[in-house]
Amino acid sequence: MLDGRVSPAVELSDAALVDIVLRGESEAYARLVARYRDRYARFALHMLGNREDAEEALQDAFVRAYRSLHRCGDPARFGSWLLAILANRCRTSGGRRARHERRFVSAEDRHYAIALDHPADASAWREEIGRALARLDPDQREAFLLKHVEELEYEQMSAITGAGVSALKMRVKRACERMRRSLTEGEDAPAR
Amino acid sequence: MRQHDEFAGKEPDDDILERAVNELRRPLRVNAALFDARVMDELLRTPTGLRERFESLVRPRTFRISPLVAFAAGLLFTVSIAGSVLYVLSSTPPARERTVARTVPGAPMVEFGFAAPHASSVALVGDFNNWDPKATPLRAASTGGVWSVEVPVPPGRHLYAFVVDGKVWRPDPAAPKATGEDFGEPNSALTVADPRGGR
Repeated sequence: MLDGRVSPAVELSDAALVDIVLRGESEAYARLVARYRDRYARFALHMLGNREDAEEALQDAFVRAYRSLHRCGDPARFGSWLLAILANRCRTSGGRRARHERRFVSAEDRHYAIALDHPADASAWREEIGRALARLDPDQREAFLLKHVEELEYEQMSAITGAGVSALKMRVKRACERMRRSLTEGEDAPAR
Repeated sequence: MRQHDEFAGKEPDDDILERAVNELRRPLRVNAALFDARVMDELLRTPTGLRERFESLVRPRTFRISPLVAFAAGLLFTVSIAGSVLYVLSSTPPARERTVARTVPGAPMVEFGFAAPHASSVALVGDFNNWDPKATPLRAASTGGVWSVEVPVPPGRHLYAFVVDGKVWRPDPAAPKATGEDFGEPNSALTVADPRGGR
């Protein structure tokens, strides 16, 4: 249990937290969840296009990571390892989702943990971005988000996706071209 | 925002792609208590270590053995069975006592979890603690509203439930409901495997 043995005020590294969890303090995993929850929720939402699938994928990624934590080769890079699990989970979910129309939910729903918090006048613009993302191939969407939204280096992206650096650069380039074309055709971008 | 290669040659203010990226980078608001409780509840659903042990026991394996080794193993198996039958027929203690003697000292540890963000106390009651609400209080995690406790539970099938705030009886939402009810309240069922492989 965190309270008592490990002070919540102490900022522990990923490696230290992984070690604590592996020694049986499973509640310490809550800190790792808190550390990566918001950022990776954003990635999952952009990858999958709706909160329901994003929450499910993110929750599943955290659970899978917990249950195979002893196989995390480099605990100091737990975040990258978790992102690789999430990206893989999004690919699986994306495959299922491809059979249906992708949805970009903007309505508030208290049952969702992931809230879409933005002014109403930006809603159409966000939906246009969502549609542009949805038109990308999943590999392109993943590469685009990892590079430009998560701001990873290509070497990090390669470790996460298993794809080569050259292939990833090509995916990002094509994704940017298609995104720019889609958004320009949409013309929903708000004036700055 | 950092200027990327893909944005080169464009005026940043006019680049619709850059504005889209800025929008995509906006932080998401996640209900931490709700999400963390769901994750931790899912994690604590599996008793500590038991799932892995069970899966390792039932996972199919392929063995390659030579005919000679197979013959020797078969012979050894036959001799063992014959010896066991002779032992059972000739031994004086009742079978029940022998079974107890084989049990590993110390019951397996089982972790129980319950998500109750607004509760002031949560206790575990079950047939393994005489349904005593004071015997096994759960501890709250520092975040997420998840309560948990790890207790030794003997191998076998058990009924249990949680008592919230000392008065509200709740079954474990993550476990199968027991078919019968004790004290007029719904209970959950838990089967703890024998660490040595027995039931």
